[in-house]
Amino acid sequence: MPHNVIHMNAGRLASRLVRRFCTQAKSLSNSEVTKKRNDLFTKEKARQIANISRLEKIQVQHIGPPEECTLLMNKGLSTPFNCAMHIQELLVTRSVVALVNGQPWDMHKPLVEDCELQFLHFKDEDAKIPNEVLWRTGSYILGYVLENAFKDNFYVELCSFPKPDVRSGSFVYDADLKTQHWQPSPTELNCLSAIGFKLQCYDIKFEPLEVDASVALTMFKSAQIPEIAATSATGNTITVYRMGTHIDITRGPLIASTNLIYRYSVTAIHDIESPDYGPLKRVQGIIMPQQLPIHYWTYEFLSERATKLNPAPVPSLKSKQKLAAENGS
Amino acid sequence: MLRFRYRFRQRNLPSAEGTGSGPAGRISKMRKLVTALIRHERIEGKHPYLDEARGYAERLIDEAVRNGDQHKPTMEIANYWLLEKDLLHKLFKVLVPRYENASTSYTKMWNLPTVYPGGGYHMALLELRNNPWPDVIPQQREVKNNLINVLIKAAKEDHEKNQQLTEHKQSEFTDQSTDTGTTTSQSP
Repeated sequence: MPHNVIHMNAGRLASRLVRRFCTQAKSLSNSEVTKKRNDLFTKEKARQIANISRLEKIQVQHIGPPEECTLLMNKGLSTPFNCAMHIQELLVTRSVVALVNGQPWDMHKPLVEDCELQFLHFKDEDAKIPNEVLWRTGSYILGYVLENAFKDNFYVELCSFPKPDVRSGSFVYDADLKTQHWQPSPTELNCLSAIGFKLQCYDIKFEPLEVDASVALTMFKSAQIPEIAATSATGNTITVYRMGTHIDITRGPLIASTNLIYRYSVTAIHDIESPDYGPLKRVQGIIMPQQLPIHYWTYEFLSERATKLNPAPVPSLKSKQKLAAENGS
Repeated sequence: MLRFRYRFRQRNLPSAEGTGSGPAGRISKMRKLVTALIRHERIEGKHPYLDEARGYAERLIDEAVRNGDQHKPTMEIANYWLLEKDLLHKLFKVLVPRYENASTSYTKMWNLPTVYPGGGYHMALLELRNNPWPDVIPQQREVKNNLINVLIKAAKEDHEKNQQLTEHKQSEFTDQSTDTGTTTSQSP
C-alpha cells in the first residue's frame, strides 16, 4: 500500500474523531433518524409478537377465483399474503390489497378474527380501491425518495400528504426540504424519479404496525400525532408502515410489495405556504403498476399534466379533524 | 304466435335430403333439425335450413307453453316433431318453465361466415335463448375504472374545460369585431 493512502486514511480518522468530540450542537440527519425509527419499530414489533403466547385458529373464507375455500389460519399472525400462498401463486404475485369482510386490508397485516377474504388487483372491473391504494403508496414512496435523495447535511422534514385523489392526476407529499430557493432542473427531477423507479427491482414488503401514540411520538416528533390518534378506531393508536428501512405514518392500506411498480416519476416541486408549518414544498409524482404496462407516449402525456400544481388542501393544524379523517399522514 | 320476423313463403328445399328428395325429404330434414335444436340447444348449419326449422321449433315451444302437457293435440304435435322421445320430457319439464314468462322469441339466430374453400353456403347458428352454453359474443370486461382510463378521462375533462374557457374569451373578442364590422360595412 502506498504511503500517501495510509496518510489519507489516518487523516480521515482524525477528522472523524475531531467531529465526534468537538461539536457542540449536533445537527440531525435523515440517516440517523431512520436508524432510530427502525430500532423502535423492530422492538415494538417483537414486543407485539411476544404478546401472543398461545396460538389460536381462525377460519378464513376465501371468495373468488381460482376457487372458494376455507382456510384455517393463525390469529394475529397470518396475513392475507399467507392465505394467498396457500391458494395460488397468481394471487401472491398480483394481489395489491385484500378485502376482509368488505373492508380494505393490507396484504401484510395479520388477521384477527374469522372473516371473508377477497383479493383485489388493478384489472378488476371495479379497481377503485387498488387505484387509491396505489396512489397513496405513491405519496408514501415520495417520502422515501425525499429522505434518501439528499446528502446528510440537508435534514428533510416530511410534513404530510393528503387523501389520494387519482383524478387530480398526481399524488402529493408536502415537506420542508430546507432549501428555499431551489428550482429543480429536469435532470434533478429524473434523479429523484430514479430512486423510486429502482424500487421495482426489489421485492420489498410494506409492513404495517399499529403502535400506541406514545411510541409514535418517540419515533416522529410531529404535532399531528395526537390528532391522528384521536380519530383512530381505538382512540390512541397510530398505523405506521415500514418499507425496507423507511418508516412513515399513514392510515393505509398500501400495496403489497414494491415489485408491483412499473413506472414512477417525480414530476414537479411547487412552493406552498402553510399557515402552521410555514413555507413548504409540494412534491408531486405519478406512478403506474406492472399490471398496466402503459405506452410511453401516454405516460409522458399524463406526466405533463402531473406537473400542474395539485389542488389538494394545504396542510395545517387548524383543519385538524378534516386532515386526520381524510389523511394518510 | 311467432315473435320474430319470418319469411312470407316457405322454402321448398327440393334437395333437402339428397337430389329429388322432395317435400317428404324437406319435412324429414325439418324434424331432424328441430329435434337436434331441442337436444343440443345450439346448432350450426346452412342458413336457409336453420331459418326454416326455426319457425317449426318456435311454434312447437309456443304450443307447449300455452297448452301444457295435459293437452292431447299438443302432445301429438310434440310426438311428431321430436324424433327422440326423451325430449318430450325436456320440452314440458325444462323448456316450458324456462319460457313461461318470455316476452321475446324462444330462439335466436346468428350469421356465420361462409366457409372457404367449401360449398359457398351462407352458414348460421341457431340456439334456444337462456341456454346453458357460454355466450356467443363473450361479455366484455368493464374497463372504465382502469387506472390509465381514469387518468386519461380526467385529463380530457380538464382539457375540455380549458378549451371552453378559451372559446368563451375568443367569442367575446369576435362579438366585438362583428359589431364593428356591421357598423362599418352597411349594405347599400
